[in-house]
Amino acid sequence: MMLHRLLLFVLLVGVCGNVQAQKSLPKNMVNVKGGTFVPLYGNDSIPVKVKTFLMDVYPVTNTEYLAFVNKYPKWRKSAVKKIFADESYLKNWTADLNIGPNAAKIQNSPVVNVSWFSAKAYCECQGKRLATVEEWEYAALASETKANAANDDKFYQRSIEWYSKPNPTYLPPVKESFRNYYGLHGMIGLVWEWTQNFNSAMVVGESRADVTMDRQLFCGSGSDGAKDVKNYVAFMRYAFRSSLKANYTVANLGFRCAKSI
Amino acid sequence: MKYLLPLSILLGLTLSSCSETNTTDALAAHQSAQATIAGNTELSEMSLYNLESEWQNEDDETVKLVQLNGKVQLVAMMYTNCTYACPRIVADLKRIEAKLDNYKKEDVGIVLVTMDPENDTPEKLQQFATDNNLDPDRWTLLTSDEMNIQELAVLLNMKYKNGGKGEIAHSNIITVLNAGGEIIHQQEGLGKDPDETVKTIDGLLRSI
Repeated sequence: MMLHRLLLFVLLVGVCGNVQAQKSLPKNMVNVKGGTFVPLYGNDSIPVKVKTFLMDVYPVTNTEYLAFVNKYPKWRKSAVKKIFADESYLKNWTADLNIGPNAAKIQNSPVVNVSWFSAKAYCECQGKRLATVEEWEYAALASETKANAANDDKFYQRSIEWYSKPNPTYLPPVKESFRNYYGLHGMIGLVWEWTQNFNSAMVVGESRADVTMDRQLFCGSGSDGAKDVKNYVAFMRYAFRSSLKANYTVANLGFRCAKSI
Repeated sequence: MKYLLPLSILLGLTLSSCSETNTTDALAAHQSAQATIAGNTELSEMSLYNLESEWQNEDDETVKLVQLNGKVQLVAMMYTNCTYACPRIVADLKRIEAKLDNYKKEDVGIVLVTMDPENDTPEKLQQFATDNNLDPDRWTLLTSDEMNIQELAVLLNMKYKNGGKGEIAHSNIITVLNAGGEIIHQQEGLGKDPDETVKTIDGLLRSI
């Protein structure tokens, strides 16, 4: 009898424990505790508040993306509409459901050559979403040991070195990439990543006209609007995002998903 | 109402882009019906009408963008609380409209899309149309959930940022769509000479 009760108790705890764990932390996601930071755009130095959110530990890999296009034929190479992904979409894949001759090397590496639309669809199909620029930049402030390493010169220097390295022939597996304070891998040093509102950075020379943004954005006085020019890596990310269009696919641009709590 | 919004966004998301079943079939049927009107057979891959999102117009009817098919459309984004740029972009659109007198209203439409869905309900849009004397046969005002608006905005090359407190920083672009929903021309900035835009529209209408 005692034993039965004990068993029941263990079972109940076991079941509830599982439910609890699932509820608080989906597989391969971590909690990024909210806070404030001063983002690098606009002329205002108003700190932005980021609410606590969940973020994928790794960027989405080729294998994961393959499962997605398998399930959602609309996003296969041969089916995708040009307005949602340009002609270099999944460039290195040899067929709709084939990662290509180097599959063994890159199956667990980040998927690249994906558009904003396709990345967004992927996340939505997992019940997630892309991170906002603010969330992404906030999470990227972290070094291995500190949530905010913005004033850590050594970390900053290392980040610059990462960015100045040319792309390797084969991107490394996501698990091998740098792991930061939150447990996020590859926020720096692996690939650039799509964000939900990549088109929201209003870093413009003359905000009233806001004309021909493509050309004026980072020429001449474009960078005057930037907040912390010392953080050159963040500046590069903002510049890069501003140069994107939603159907562009780029060789070192991948994504990961996030989720509100 | 505020609490309902995230829910509706969530529902909107699941409905719009992540259905395994082929919603494109229903849409395709709809499109071909529309295309018959337009005289084309199929939407091109670069047509904005490939967006499958649902919108509300100023009459609170649910519409899809593909229903704009068959006309040359001028599209701009604004929000009704906007005090500086938006009245001017509406004025710019009216300047273009005034030069289109030769054309029937069935040939050219003008679409205003809000960037502030939280505030701009269909009623607000209706009020805005009335206040600005926008001819309902010519003008359509649209709202949807934030994500759908963002999708359209990126396709229109619009950059905007909701700074809260009712202020939105945004670019000012008037886009000309051909009858099939492809971007043919964009006029950027405020108070621009509308000649080039008008010429583009003239050209499109002659070829219809």
